[in-house]
Amino acid sequence: MKRPFYRAFRPGQIRSDESADIRDEIELYLELRTEELITEGMDPAQARQAAEERFGDTRRVEATLRGQARRRRTREGMMATLAGVRQDLGYAFRTMRRSPGFTFVAVLTLGLALGGNTAIFSVVDAALLQAMPFEDADQLVFVNGTHRVDGQSSIRGASFPEFRDWKERTRSLTSMAAVSNISAALTGGFDAERVPVEVVTEDYFEAMMVTPTLGRTFRAEEHSEPGAHTVALISAGLWERRFGGDPSVLGQDVLLNDRPFQVVGVLPAGFGGTALNSEVWVSEAMFETLTGFAPLEQRGSRFLSVIARVDQAMGPDEAQGELEGVALALQGEFPEAHLDRFAELQGFREAYLDTTGQLLWILMGAGVLLLLIASANVANLLLVRAHGRTREIVLRRALGAESSRVASQLLTESGALAVMGGVLGLGIAVLGLRVLGPMIPQGVLPGYVEPSLGAAPFLVSMLVLGIVGVVTGLLPALSSARMNIAARMREGGRGAVGGMGGRFRAQHLFVVAQVGLALVLLVGAGLLTRSFQAQLAIDAGTEFDQVMAMGLQLPESRYPAREDVGVFIDELDRRLSEIPGVAQVSIATDLPFRGGSSGAYIFRADAPDDRIRFHQHVVDVDYFETLGVSLVEGRTFTRTDGADAPVVGVVTEAMVRREFPNGSPVGQTMYLRPSSQRPVLIVGVVEDLRLRNLTTSLMAEGNSPDVFFPLAQRGTRGLEVAARVVGDPVTFGPAMRAVVAELDADMPVSDLAPLTDGYRAQTATPRFAAFLMGIFSALAAVLACVGMYGVLAFAVGQRSQEIAIRRAIGASAPSVARSVVYDGLRLAVSGLAVGTIVALVGSPVLESYLFQVESTDPTTFLTVGAVMIVVALSAALAPALRAMRRDPAEALYSD
Amino acid sequence: MTRSLRGRMSGSNLFTGTLDLLILRTTEATPLHGYAIGKAIRELSEGVLSVEEGALYPALHRLEGKGLLESEWGKTDTGRRAKFYRVTQLGRSHLESESARWAEHSRAVAAVLSGGS
Repeated sequence: MKRPFYRAFRPGQIRSDESADIRDEIELYLELRTEELITEGMDPAQARQAAEERFGDTRRVEATLRGQARRRRTREGMMATLAGVRQDLGYAFRTMRRSPGFTFVAVLTLGLALGGNTAIFSVVDAALLQAMPFEDADQLVFVNGTHRVDGQSSIRGASFPEFRDWKERTRSLTSMAAVSNISAALTGGFDAERVPVEVVTEDYFEAMMVTPTLGRTFRAEEHSEPGAHTVALISAGLWERRFGGDPSVLGQDVLLNDRPFQVVGVLPAGFGGTALNSEVWVSEAMFETLTGFAPLEQRGSRFLSVIARVDQAMGPDEAQGELEGVALALQGEFPEAHLDRFAELQGFREAYLDTTGQLLWILMGAGVLLLLIASANVANLLLVRAHGRTREIVLRRALGAESSRVASQLLTESGALAVMGGVLGLGIAVLGLRVLGPMIPQGVLPGYVEPSLGAAPFLVSMLVLGIVGVVTGLLPALSSARMNIAARMREGGRGAVGGMGGRFRAQHLFVVAQVGLALVLLVGAGLLTRSFQAQLAIDAGTEFDQVMAMGLQLPESRYPAREDVGVFIDELDRRLSEIPGVAQVSIATDLPFRGGSSGAYIFRADAPDDRIRFHQHVVDVDYFETLGVSLVEGRTFTRTDGADAPVVGVVTEAMVRREFPNGSPVGQTMYLRPSSQRPVLIVGVVEDLRLRNLTTSLMAEGNSPDVFFPLAQRGTRGLEVAARVVGDPVTFGPAMRAVVAELDADMPVSDLAPLTDGYRAQTATPRFAAFLMGIFSALAAVLACVGMYGVLAFAVGQRSQEIAIRRAIGASAPSVARSVVYDGLRLAVSGLAVGTIVALVGSPVLESYLFQVESTDPTTFLTVGAVMIVVALSAALAPALRAMRRDPAEALYSD
Repeated sequence: MTRSLRGRMSGSNLFTGTLDLLILRTTEATPLHGYAIGKAIRELSEGVLSVEEGALYPALHRLEGKGLLESEWGKTDTGRRAKFYRVTQLGRSHLESESARWAEHSRAVAAVLSGGS
């Protein structure tokens, strides 16, 4: 075949001599015809013209003929190429069958790298790129009220007066609306349940760009007349669940916190508000009606989320600039309420991904490293392979094969490997997603994200490996094109030292890079694992393994007085304690890892200007015992700490360290208001306990200390109930629910779950991150091991004569093996050196995920280095043994 | 049969494939160049069939492309450089089956025409 293989993909070219032939053919006809006409008696002067006239348009005929020739040429090219490909493929598969080991390793490498990456990239792709369940979501922002000191912002809510100021004073933000995410008891004619509710201001539905599928949104007067219009919108899910999707739902009432609200609209399926799972929407004018709580006009009462759309003409930077101005102006107008207060924009996607976004990028980075390692492996395998086939290539060239033919043969082989690896990779990706998907802990990904196999991630991974395959597949072909066949034949096709040295160096480089990259991944996995272990080792200060918990809300309508609440609590406590297997019951405003504790300020009697922010917990007398919290000093609460007794409080050791460094606080008094006449007597100190975030230091600036108050002295309607049980806590759920139903059939039970669930949720992300990194790094180590094995085995094969000579002149078998191991170690150490530098530079990206572990943790680095040395040694083992066992005589005489 | 009618006859106006058959038949014995093929068709049909020159060469090239004809450049009797066409083995078998079909076809047409008169 004379034409380069790639010509087949171009339209056929017609050669200039073909055009000339066509012209000659027609010219001959015209000449002969002219002669004939002359012999028939025509005037010679007119004969030529007559012949041409009879022939017709010669140029048109020529063009037709040229077109025919071109088409034929194209077809011939395609046929030849197809035949070539068929031949190449047959040859490729025969080659593969002859070396199943190589084929297996190459396909497995490709498959693992492709599959692993596609699975991870699919998750990342879904999280970062999948459409959010909002129209034009990229313009949607949260306007976060922040507390900014020394450039450090922490997000707090916004108050209504503040929200109104922002809305009135900005032009770059449109449709600004405030949202309060609460929950309410949904009762009336069916099982009581707590549903997530969004209390929203005017413009909310405009900002969200959502219109009801049924009914309408709120009217202006429904926003402006407090308490006057008991109307609500519901989600499509609630409509289906409670009303069977019946359109006559409009005008019907739903009971929210025992008050009837008329349904005026149903929102589209998939819309769950800012919380993504909200089911009921009411106007802010109904806030007090619904909650019995009226904080709306207090400037310091910051519990709202604020959403808006960024005006496209101005953009987010301008909007943020405008907000800064407004915030500074408000600080001037309300120096106390707006101390250090700012407002900062946060895109919706950013808000929903939160810290997960960064984690996903890190995982994706790990995936890319793995892909690079796999690519190096494939390149290495192909190079080793190409070398092994130098003799064959030389022979084929010598027998007349064009270099393009040899190249297409090598490419076909790479291609066949890539396709098999791709199929395996696709399988692994599908399987990986099916296994990984359910393992992704809740809260790591926003609710709207559904990881599914993405075509783009697969194709990108495939493309990277494909490029590597083509490039490395072509290298030997290119060198074969240049090779001096005669010289090579004389060498016996073994390859000259000079020619192959470069390729061998390239292989060394690949192995060094692989070892280095594997080290980077292992360091990442090691750091995350150690950090995760450190989190597990945290003493939470509570014993929560055997505790089942639930949340209750006592509506004011049925429990108007504090006494009513007290009666309910006592009866609940008594009946729960009677459940067989329940050892102890405690009722409080909040429980560890379940959220919900509120912040407040307390003042010392001896320093009334120094306000101390603290987390407030109202607990019953059994709280500390039920949760296994040890008393350090003084006493905990007793039944004598009743409503009429002196107000008492219990603090933690952290509070003592922070605020009473010079002595015990027991016996000291504090005030909840600067001018209050009722002092709080501190009666006890308990050990440090972690009720919120496990990893935030109790001494951290933003982490306020905890103070406990007795339930009997401070009323509450929101109850968290803890039951210490003997046996599996989950099995007590139904009995606890039944007790509540006995007492009040209309009281929904929320978050009925073991306390360990909250704890697990906190450790889920680090567990997941450490797990994934572990898989990646293990794969990386295996691939690096395979890569190194390949190179060492190849080197031993190359040096078999040298080794034989050394053996023949007296080198011992072990010394020969040692030299092979030494080669491996040299490669490993170079790789480790490079990898360590890269890891030291790169590991700080993990810092925000590391707990009590430095990103340069020497233990991790040393352990990982040791692991890689072991990997290198095991990779060197087989080649070393082979070198040792090789019979010197045989090696010398072979070839 | 008037001269004008003969003049219009060509591969595309004859039944499809007829010109192909004529070409294959004329090149069966000896290789011929295009002009000679046209002339042979005219002479063998005793002047009844004449091939429009504009259609002859595309037909020749097409048949060559299909592998029914093969070609070779050579010299004419008068020493001119010319492309000679000869039927291939494939062309021969095509010619056989197609001529049989043609014969059957023309017999059928003749039968209808004579039966109707």
